[in-house]
Amino acid sequence: MTTNQTTVSLEHVTKRFGDFTAVKDLSLAVRAGRIYGLIGPNGAGKTTTIRMIVNITAPDSGAIKLFGQPINAGSQDRIGYLPEERGLYRRMRISDQLLFFAELKDCKGRAAKEAVDRWLERMKLVEWKSKKAEALSKGMQQKVQFIAAVIHDPDLLILDEPFSGLDPINMELLKEIVLEFKAAGKTIIFSTHVMELAEKICDDICLINRSQKVLEGSLRDVKGSFGRNSVALRAEGGDGVLDDRSIVASVKRQSDEVEALLAEGVDPQIVLERLLESGARITKFELVEPTLHDIFIEKVSGSA
Amino acid sequence: MKKLRTIIKREYLTRVNSKAFIFSTILGPIIMVAFTVAPVLIASMETGEATRLAIVDQTGRIYNRVRESIINESSAGSKPSSPAGLPMDMSQSPEERARQAGRAIKGDFKIERVELAERALEDVKHELNERVRRKELDGYIVIPPDVLIGKKAEYYGRNVGDFINSIRIEEGLSRAVNEQRLADTGVDQNLLREMSKRVTVNTFKVSEETEEQDSGEAFFLVLGVGFLIFVMILMYGGTVLSAVIEEKETRIAEVLFSSVRAFPLMLGKLVGVSLVALTQFAIWGLLIGGFSVYGVATLRGQGMDLQFPPIVAADVVYFVLFFLLGFFMYASVYAVIGSIVRSYDESQGFLMVAIVPLIFSFYLVFPVVRSPESTVAVWASIFPFSSPVIMPVRIVSQTLPFWQIGLSLLIGFGTVILLTWLAARIYRIGMLTYGKRATIPEVWRWVRQA
Repeated sequence: MTTNQTTVSLEHVTKRFGDFTAVKDLSLAVRAGRIYGLIGPNGAGKTTTIRMIVNITAPDSGAIKLFGQPINAGSQDRIGYLPEERGLYRRMRISDQLLFFAELKDCKGRAAKEAVDRWLERMKLVEWKSKKAEALSKGMQQKVQFIAAVIHDPDLLILDEPFSGLDPINMELLKEIVLEFKAAGKTIIFSTHVMELAEKICDDICLINRSQKVLEGSLRDVKGSFGRNSVALRAEGGDGVLDDRSIVASVKRQSDEVEALLAEGVDPQIVLERLLESGARITKFELVEPTLHDIFIEKVSGSA
Repeated sequence: MKKLRTIIKREYLTRVNSKAFIFSTILGPIIMVAFTVAPVLIASMETGEATRLAIVDQTGRIYNRVRESIINESSAGSKPSSPAGLPMDMSQSPEERARQAGRAIKGDFKIERVELAERALEDVKHELNERVRRKELDGYIVIPPDVLIGKKAEYYGRNVGDFINSIRIEEGLSRAVNEQRLADTGVDQNLLREMSKRVTVNTFKVSEETEEQDSGEAFFLVLGVGFLIFVMILMYGGTVLSAVIEEKETRIAEVLFSSVRAFPLMLGKLVGVSLVALTQFAIWGLLIGGFSVYGVATLRGQGMDLQFPPIVAADVVYFVLFFLLGFFMYASVYAVIGSIVRSYDESQGFLMVAIVPLIFSFYLVFPVVRSPESTVAVWASIFPFSSPVIMPVRIVSQTLPFWQIGLSLLIGFGTVILLTWLAARIYRIGMLTYGKRATIPEVWRWVRQA
């Protein structure tokens, strides 16, 4: 596999707009064939970072490499970009616009026409092919915009809030396509502030807050290193164990469940043993990983 | 650049294939014809009834001449060189044009003679006034006995605002009086017409090698170049503007910028829209050209002496170059405006300001024609915002060193590129810091920003 190759790398990249520093000393590496989640609150610098990657704007300092080389005109053609700010030419027919966007990425002729047909088929938009964009519903326009980003079969796909405004069915459809891209060995950068979504599809995560990187790594590592150690427990008895502050730091009681945050350095296995020893009857004992949502909230509000 | 081609292609094809383009291409000439022909037709609309005139001839011997003269005024027009129906000579004063229109229009007159017959003039006038009031008459003319030695005739009418009739009466009367005067001195009228032919002056421009005939048509052709620039900017400036704003309003800009740089995008728009404009003008040009070749051929066939204005081939190349320069110059100014504003509505205030230099260039034409070597003329023909209008004028009115023309073109097209670059820059930075409209100091900062 190509897993260890780096598709995009940023080294100490800084970008200022006047007095405002949008991105500060940012370094990151996006590995090939993976889905990389760029997460962070609004205004954190995600979009500016992406714009530097797609060569819309240049960094004030630092270096950006794409496919192992400094950015050049050729590398731009290998990227598919779906920005958050996106639209279509209102008066242009769907097929014409898609061909136009494809041609801008140097994909033309029969190959382009076939790609248009294939994608319209896939997105269930075939009967809209000759319609003007203004005749389409918002959801359909979104799908056309998505096609415009992938029509030239890019090696790197950058999606900025791709699912906003889509109904669940189309959301699943797009997710499926993104996963297919990954399966085909392509790299995907996925920017969002919807943590549940990022958690579901991302392999790697980079959290940006206030122009700076807060954490980066594979989703598993990030969660693991976050070091929160809690247990969801449903049991009869065993209250004495839970009240032992040397092993359980705090207890949150819900309707028929208890969420116990273990004291630092305590192995959940010990807690389970102690509970069994105390004669408690256990119907549920589950290690709870922190959600991305929790990590996000803690990291972002913690630094505020 | 491949991407530039893609942009131009899209800008061009989407516009040329639009219904609006097809409609305006067809309607354009119709409207043009309507605007030039309709006023004449409307002005000459006949009310259907003949004008009833009475003539009180106190000389007692001129009545017949006056009657003939008024009735035949249109067919015996004193200027046979401008037959009715052909476009009027726009260089004439409005009054002269009205006179010509008056001559061209046929209207019926019913003329009767009223004898004084021993009555006092006042009584006759009183009686005629009554008849006018009772609408038995539309008006009457009183010719004094000494009209032949310069006394004024008088016209009394119900509708003295009908300038066309007034003109015909005046012209008819004075011709009749002139003819009578000459007849009195024994000069033959045909001989007189022959003798009073105007002298026309042929002008020649002295150039390095030869002397070329220049009958003034070249000058009007040059003004036509300026006029074409003006019309095309009025028609297509807005298109350039909306082409530039389009991606802002539809929010496509960011998608595009991930594939193409701002400069080729801006240049592509400018060239694309210009090609649309040129396509439309070429269609119209072919139509007009076709009709005029046909028209001239027909008129020649009928024995009319008509010629196409003599133009030097090299000058035509210059005219085309300066025409293109003029259009691109102002189109790129519009592109800059489009890159600053957020929406089409916001741009409206700037539009007239943008073409002020063009209008001033027109004002400069006449001083430049009179002294094409003056400092003002030289600078105006090099300054990029006036050169497209002024330089062609200088080219036809004197023999210019080539370097001046070359310099003018170089500075002109250089300015176009600079403005396009500026528009691209403002556009891109404006998009990156989206949200509000740019203020002038901000735009200035963007321009300087690396």
